Amino acid sequence: MNVIEIRNLTKNYGKSRGIIDVNLNVEEGEVFGFIGPNGAGKSTTIRTLLGLIYPTNGNAVIFGKNCSKFPEVRNEVGYLPSEVFYYDNMRVIDLLKYSASFYKKDCTNRINELAGIMDLDLKKKIDDLSFGNKKKVGIVQGLLHEPKLIILDEPTSGLDPLMQQKFFELISQENKKGATVFFSSHILSEVQKMCNRVAFIKNGKIIELEKMSTLQENNYKKIKLEAKDTIAEGYFNISGVSKLEVKGNSADFIFKGNINSIMKRIADIELTNLSIDEPDLEEIFMHYYAKEG
Amino acid sequence: MNMYLHELKSLRKATIIWTCAIIALAVIYFSVYTGIAKDAADFKALLSGYPASIRAMLGISLDNITTILGFYSMIFSFITLCGAIQAMNYGTSILSKESRERTADFLLVKPVSRSAIVSSKLLAALTMLLATDVLYYAGASIVANAVKTSAYSNKLFFMISLTLLFNQLIFLAIGVVVSVIIPKLKSMLPVSLGVVFGFYILGAVIATGENDTVRFISPFKYFNLPYILNNESYETPYLIAGAIIVVVAIAASYIIYVKKDIHAVS
Amino acid sequence: MNLFLRELKANRKALIIWSVCMFLLVLSGMGKYTAYSSGGQSNAVFNDLPHSVKALLGMGSFDVTTMSGYYAMLFLYIEIAVAIHAALLGSGIIAKEERDKTTEFLMIKPVSRNSIITFKLLAALINIVILNIVTLVSSIIMVAAYNKGNDISGEIALFMLSMFIVQLIFLSLGAALAAFMKNPESSGSLATGILLIAFVISKITDLTGRVNVLNVLSPFKYFSYTDIVNGNGLSIVIVILSLVLVAAFSISTYLSYTKRDLHV
Repeated sequence: MNVIEIRNLTKNYGKSRGIIDVNLNVEEGEVFGFIGPNGAGKSTTIRTLLGLIYPTNGNAVIFGKNCSKFPEVRNEVGYLPSEVFYYDNMRVIDLLKYSASFYKKDCTNRINELAGIMDLDLKKKIDDLSFGNKKKVGIVQGLLHEPKLIILDEPTSGLDPLMQQKFFELISQENKKGATVFFSSHILSEVQKMCNRVAFIKNGKIIELEKMSTLQENNYKKIKLEAKDTIAEGYFNISGVSKLEVKGNSADFIFKGNINSIMKRIADIELTNLSIDEPDLEEIFMHYYAKEG
Repeated sequence: MNMYLHELKSLRKATIIWTCAIIALAVIYFSVYTGIAKDAADFKALLSGYPASIRAMLGISLDNITTILGFYSMIFSFITLCGAIQAMNYGTSILSKESRERTADFLLVKPVSRSAIVSSKLLAALTMLLATDVLYYAGASIVANAVKTSAYSNKLFFMISLTLLFNQLIFLAIGVVVSVIIPKLKSMLPVSLGVVFGFYILGAVIATGENDTVRFISPFKYFNLPYILNNESYETPYLIAGAIIVVVAIAASYIIYVKKDIHAVS
Repeated sequence: MNLFLRELKANRKALIIWSVCMFLLVLSGMGKYTAYSSGGQSNAVFNDLPHSVKALLGMGSFDVTTMSGYYAMLFLYIEIAVAIHAALLGSGIIAKEERDKTTEFLMIKPVSRNSIITFKLLAALINIVILNIVTLVSSIIMVAAYNKGNDISGEIALFMLSMFIVQLIFLSLGAALAAFMKNPESSGSLATGILLIAFVISKITDLTGRVNVLNVLSPFKYFSYTDIVNGNGLSIVIVILSLVLVAAFSISTYLSYTKRDLHV
């Protein structure tokens, strides 16, 4: 069953384009990644989905219902916006209790649990917190009611590396318990680690929508090696090799094709060092990020 | 319910300040009443030296001042001014603060409809205004009783005081609808003050004299206090006008707020 | 200099709106003059009424059947309007960096906080001068249009001069509050609160002579309008004292703003 269904979603801001004809589905239990350059339309898509702004065309539903018409649907949604602001003069615990009061369950245990994991001081005033700590409040606030759908907009910006790790562990746990995660980010390594499927949006349109595994399978292997002696210029110039860089003793290239053919060539020289990597999402998508023309 | 309580709490400090201010104002005015009443009474004695027509005209005015109700009706416009500023401030801030303080992403993503949000905020503002008015009425009555020179009708005192609430309702409604129509403003204070003082000055400068239609321009002129004193009732056309303004403004606010796009950082 | 131009541009729209409103205010106010001037027979009696009674009846101390007396009555409302403008402008122009979160942009530029304040206040000053001139010109034109008696342009000029000083007072007060308060966003409300109190005090001292000492707290009462109407001009002493007050507020603006932590 599709937790999120977005059909032909279009939003124009006056004459400026927001998003155009966005189509995507997110299945229950998935971790779905949503990436794209700045200004591509990620936040617009999310805000339309949540009912903060209204589409010019098309529709977006959560659990089969439109958020604006059926606000009860949001009982099962947790949202972490990219920029986190709260009411002045409130303590963390007050804000969290206020947030919890909107949901029909008692979240006290969960609040304490989450605050413990994220190392968040509940007694402090929100005004006095640093940016990263305010972000933590946002994370706890988004998760305290154990929602079935978690929507994250650049969740780890501002968190220190340890907190980032803890955050992703949290999300994995929630996912294992059955929550669906919709996740927009610039940090491709995160997306790579967490997501089952990825959509790439640029200039308001979805350019690519794929399973992570497919993306990686259809792709190249990065090979880097250092030899004992100088490597001849044309030595690795076989079919399937591209982006070849030979500098003295080292060679760097990308290979797609029958792995045995390249292995035979590598085995024939005396090596001091070798590394073979799966390409990361950055390499796959970096060319997408670049402007056309 | 939780939103209502939260909104009450956020209005608490301002309400305390306004309530104290309005009560203090009434107390100060009433404390000078005795002096003025005496001055007027003394002067009235001298009236016998003047022509009949002038005596008639002045006599009525002077009579008004010497009675506590007459005095009250004259100073009440300043109390109304303060109450209107309070109401207008509440009106302009309750909805726009979610956008100005950028907490919209928190509140509007909760499982509550936008109209429920508007209702909680309106009810909270209304509750606080009522609280102010009730406390004011209590305070003013006590002081009035303390300085009165002769008995006065409690009913009329109440009717005059009630116009404070009417004016506040009108300005609350105007404030809310203004805040949803004007797109992004860093501070609602200039708008809020400008509108209230604008109407006040309009009322004082233009809507004077007997011309009834001109009075519709300024809510401050909807309740003619001498009329209320003489007829023990309000003037229906103006009551209706006030009610229409409130209903239309509030309805428009609901409709606009429910339909509008809420942007991330405005 | 760039800061100065930027502030001027930022306040341009508001200034235009206020100027139009002041013009309309003078226009409509003067339009009412005929209504007042026609019922003139009871002058003498009115003038004999006790001070407090007249105040209560809304007549103040002026003979509103003459143009200068009427203008004096209208003037109080004009003055409140420009005072609000000045107070909000003064507090806003200082508080806006913290309110709009542009502090981190501006304050790390290679300019001292002192020069920032100087340019902001200068820009604010230009604004109130313009508003004053607009009011002056509107008044002179409108009065001439309706006036049946002597030319009072000289008196109007004096009124405007006194108003300018009141504007300066509220402008510098607003700025001083914004510079001083740890949370500058509420400076606007505080400045207008003080203005409101000053207004109320001026009304109360109208009513009763016994608390005239309170007039110190109300800039609206610093200048005697009856004196202007009677052709006596402005009191030099009061002018100097007012300017000292303005200087005091301004200096405290500089001192507070340069010393305190900026609220980010």
